[in-house]
Amino acid sequence: MSIVGIDIGGTFTDLVGYQNGVVVTAKTLTVPADPTVGAATALSLAGCDAQSIRELLHGSTIAINTVLERSGARTALITTEGFRDVYALGRGNRPDAFNLDFRRPRPLVPRDLTFEISERMNAAGEVLRPIDADAVAKLGRQLEALGVEAAAICFLHSYANPAHEIVAGDVLRRLCPHIFVTMSHEILREFREYERTSTTALNGYVGPRVARYLTRFEEFARAAKFSGQIAIMRSNGGTMSIAEARRQPVAMMESGPVAGMIGAAHLARLLDIKQAIGFDMGGTTAKTALINDGVLPIEEGYVIGDAFTGQPMQLPVVDIVEVGAGGGSIAWIDNNGGLHVGPVSAGADPGPVCYGRGGEQPTVTDADLLLGRLNGNRFLGGGMTLDGAGAQAALAKLGDGAGLDALTTALGIATIADGAMSLAVRAVSVNRGVDPRDTALIAFGGAGPLHAVAIAREIAIPKVVIPKLPGNFSALGMLMAEWRQDFVRTLIGELDRLEPVRVAQAFADLRDAGIAALKRDGLSGGTFNFAADLRYRGQEHTIAVAVAGPDDLVGAPAAAETRRRFNAQHDRRYGHAAPDQSIEIVNLRLTVTLPRIDDAISRWLSTPWEAEPAAPAERRAVVYADPARPVEALILWRPGLAAGVEAKGPAVIEEPNSTTFVPPGDRAVIDPWGNIVIALSERE
Amino acid sequence: MTINPITVEVVRNAVNAYADEMANALCKSAYNMMIYEVRDFCCGLIDTQGRMISQNRGGLPIFLADLGIAVKDGIERYGLDGFALGDVIIMNHGLVCGQHLNNVVIYAPCFHEGRVVAFAASRAHWVDIGGSRVGFGSVETTEIYQEGLQFRSLKIYEAGKRNETLWQIIRDNVRFAEAALGDLRAQIAACQLGNRRYGELLKRYGSGAVTAAIATIWDNTEREARAFIAKVPDGVYEAESFLDNDGRTLDVKLRIKVRVIIDGSRMVVDFSDMNDQVPGPTNSGYSGGLAAARVAFKCLTLPHAPVNEGCFRPLEIILPEGKLLNARPPAALGLWSIPLPTVIDTILKALAPALPDRIPAAHKGDMGGCSFSGFRPDGRRFLLMNIFGGGWGGRPREDGESASVSICQGDVRNAPVELQEMQYPFLIERFALRQDSGGAGRHRGGLGVELTYRALARALANVNCERTKDPPWGLYGGKPGAVNEAVLMRRDGSEQKLLKATSVPMAPGDRLIFRTAGGGGGGDPRQRDPRKIADDVAKGYVSIEAARREYGCDGR
Repeated sequence: MSIVGIDIGGTFTDLVGYQNGVVVTAKTLTVPADPTVGAATALSLAGCDAQSIRELLHGSTIAINTVLERSGARTALITTEGFRDVYALGRGNRPDAFNLDFRRPRPLVPRDLTFEISERMNAAGEVLRPIDADAVAKLGRQLEALGVEAAAICFLHSYANPAHEIVAGDVLRRLCPHIFVTMSHEILREFREYERTSTTALNGYVGPRVARYLTRFEEFARAAKFSGQIAIMRSNGGTMSIAEARRQPVAMMESGPVAGMIGAAHLARLLDIKQAIGFDMGGTTAKTALINDGVLPIEEGYVIGDAFTGQPMQLPVVDIVEVGAGGGSIAWIDNNGGLHVGPVSAGADPGPVCYGRGGEQPTVTDADLLLGRLNGNRFLGGGMTLDGAGAQAALAKLGDGAGLDALTTALGIATIADGAMSLAVRAVSVNRGVDPRDTALIAFGGAGPLHAVAIAREIAIPKVVIPKLPGNFSALGMLMAEWRQDFVRTLIGELDRLEPVRVAQAFADLRDAGIAALKRDGLSGGTFNFAADLRYRGQEHTIAVAVAGPDDLVGAPAAAETRRRFNAQHDRRYGHAAPDQSIEIVNLRLTVTLPRIDDAISRWLSTPWEAEPAAPAERRAVVYADPARPVEALILWRPGLAAGVEAKGPAVIEEPNSTTFVPPGDRAVIDPWGNIVIALSERE
Repeated sequence: MTINPITVEVVRNAVNAYADEMANALCKSAYNMMIYEVRDFCCGLIDTQGRMISQNRGGLPIFLADLGIAVKDGIERYGLDGFALGDVIIMNHGLVCGQHLNNVVIYAPCFHEGRVVAFAASRAHWVDIGGSRVGFGSVETTEIYQEGLQFRSLKIYEAGKRNETLWQIIRDNVRFAEAALGDLRAQIAACQLGNRRYGELLKRYGSGAVTAAIATIWDNTEREARAFIAKVPDGVYEAESFLDNDGRTLDVKLRIKVRVIIDGSRMVVDFSDMNDQVPGPTNSGYSGGLAAARVAFKCLTLPHAPVNEGCFRPLEIILPEGKLLNARPPAALGLWSIPLPTVIDTILKALAPALPDRIPAAHKGDMGGCSFSGFRPDGRRFLLMNIFGGGWGGRPREDGESASVSICQGDVRNAPVELQEMQYPFLIERFALRQDSGGAGRHRGGLGVELTYRALARALANVNCERTKDPPWGLYGGKPGAVNEAVLMRRDGSEQKLLKATSVPMAPGDRLIFRTAGGGGGGDPRQRDPRKIADDVAKGYVSIEAARREYGCDGR
């Protein structure tokens, strides 16, 4: 009896499994031509017996890469008459404000595959002009003739009344069974026609390719004699069935980065950390998220690709702030002799200079190696030897341009990278009214534990937690993901002046949609959590406030409580509130989750830690604050550290896929569950 | 003082992040769409001499010039010793700020070790500031006094205590007071946030190191800007263009004349031959001319770098008093920004011979907005505002972009159709690309848009079309784009062209149709790749007739 998580990324395929009470891991190169080959390799490396696997969780970059490479299906877009250009017009903005060569987002559907249908609703969902079903049928034949593989339908105000979309969708699905049809209201029922159109088009565009991929993945699983359930990771931090992923492939878009944060949220609950900051440092980027009370933060809407020219996706995603600083980030000198780090990354190929695979530009990892923080002989459990001399030469060469020696350059690179990453940590904490002194940093990713303490010090976070298996933490997090789906209904009105009937209807609609989604995946039960998007009258942006039912919005006493909570949240987030002003509701939201039956990994995380026999401690010179005066650091082997063992910095704690650096004065202790907990000393 | 390059980099990231953080907080909690949707605001940190430490990204490019001017006025009035912790200053004075009065600056001193070390400041467009008409931009005004309340460096908080008299004056004299005071609160909160962050930075690194780092950042930025200008051939470059009118006298054009002098690493923009100030409201103060020159300069030199004081050191401007862009009081300033897109385009046009691989043909050249006001059935007043894009000029290496906001507007966004219909008594019948509006050229000008509003209730419309006479010009042999226009179509079918008009009554069933300008073409149309012409025809950007007429072929 076992479960397995497989994360297929651009470079590596990661696996973490739990079988027969043991956690197994594997890391292997991704095979782009057929990603399932890498998955098969990972299974065999980890010694997994596919027949005994009850559940296989899978995260993949297939959907997002399809968009970034623009390699999706030939997709048609169908709009309300008069609004053929809704997708191309977008919002008209130019965030890259001074760039004369700016580009607007390029629609995934060209104008000659965009078609208008005669129909019109108003904002109340009343029919102003009935839909012409014959015209839809005629269009269907045209689409077939044009060789269209996917059709996205998005009509004005369909969030209020989807009847016309349903007519059009039914006609197309009946007449053109080979065309992948997406209706906007099936993806989200929220106003803002451009963002909804873009989300719908994204779904159509990636749909056929994702469907083929999922079929291939199922075949691979069957061929491996796997007979359990397959669950697919989605951007909201939950999972869905393969059938749902085929319907709503757009929901897979950010399935990669969220998994590690799921693990961090579990750890925050286990350790009773009220406000935790998840910090994941990989090769190219560092990612952070604020985890309140062990709950993943969700954001409504996101841009796929570059922030200025990317494709808007108006679906819930785990709210992760990313900066272009990672182990592979390249250091460079500008014309004024200024030292910079990133955002260009050496990636895995050629990778940092010290990988010895042809990289010539020094990176953060090269700096870490030269500073003595990283052990060149124990990288990837000794599976790869790092070239320290090469790194030193490259850093010396770079430093020449700024009049700095190699060690000073290395220290500068580490400091600048820490500064950039601490801004991302700041973005999810202080920028949101959270005092970092009340938080703890949970750090993972191959390079995270090496830089975490410096970042914590930068913004006065007093405590850092390094979980078990930090280098495989993302695949591990996957094994704790719950089935989850989010729903939204636009519901406009003034708090406690809403018509009770409308409110009750909106709650009932959402509940029905949730039950239907569970049923489609053969499930029942589930936890239903509602929230209302609220704002002061006249504002645009909203804050989601949890509500239990219609009474929280219409009944006087409960609505007063809702009002109080909104005022408090507004004050905390923006520094002011207006308790005497009218409050409006804009959307009602529902999140349905189904707790995992199998909690093996969360139990494993909370199992008392049993160390291997201790390895002898070593000592090594490590550069901390002054390149001229390295400090003598204690070098420890993590698997051999028993619960309760303390290490006073300077110390380096090494393990197969990661390294933790404890600076002078700070104190690390192995907690009862095997996490490294580092208390930062107080100093100016 | 030499300063560690690492500290410089940390400070550089930090001060820019603080400005962005202030902007985010303001935008998210603002009460009017000119802030949250149109992003008609800016936030930044200003030093004790009025110099710009940092300013947020996004938002309005033309706000490049003027937080410092506003803060300097307060420093002159109170002296640095005249500020107390907890002071908040309000400022929108026409003479000093040079913009319409809706743009209200709020700033607060930042203290470190008992001294004022900087100011966190924000400028935001209030939905209404009083005056003769709802909102802003009436074409009827001739004096600033008709345009609303003026505050010249007044303390709305003194040492943390609110000035209730001033607060009530605002509450009693502006329309939509709830929104105005909400925005005011949001601006104050943003400034407090900026000061808190900057104070933390000073505490962490020390005021000496931070100040030295900022000086280094300015010097480095200046050096980069100069390096670009040094590569431009020295010379005197000139260009001229025309605006439609001053808003009141509709048949008299205004002359926009600029002379650009490139001298080594220095660039001078000379507005001496610019039109004189006008009786109508299309004047700006000095900061209007400064902003236009700065936007053009920034686009050319450091388009991607964050804004700071060093960016503009190589730039000088010559702008005598009494000109359209440096009007003497009591000139009306209600439509202060209307000339600026054309002024910026004209500066760029002057430099086209020197920089043929950088300069695009002219863009749509106006601010592309409209507004409608009226009363809801429950008696509450409404004001619908929207801003929409048009075509940009063909570029040296590619076509111009379509349906994009003006060069003055950056991250300004159009209002969603569904949002407008949900909140206001209008039906939007069409929002589409405008066929054949892009100027022909080897690199075609971008397309303008068509937008049709049908009134469902009585309302008053404000229209401020510019460049309805002189189209966006082509460059390097390219043809001009289509001009801006607005047509009022009555329910009975009668039509009336609107140029600039305030409070035009609309009855249910009346339509107002906007057609925005297309960009000018870049390069000879006969050199356009026939495959691109065919693609334009297939996608409907260019009609077959126009393709044959302008390009001599339809691509088939």
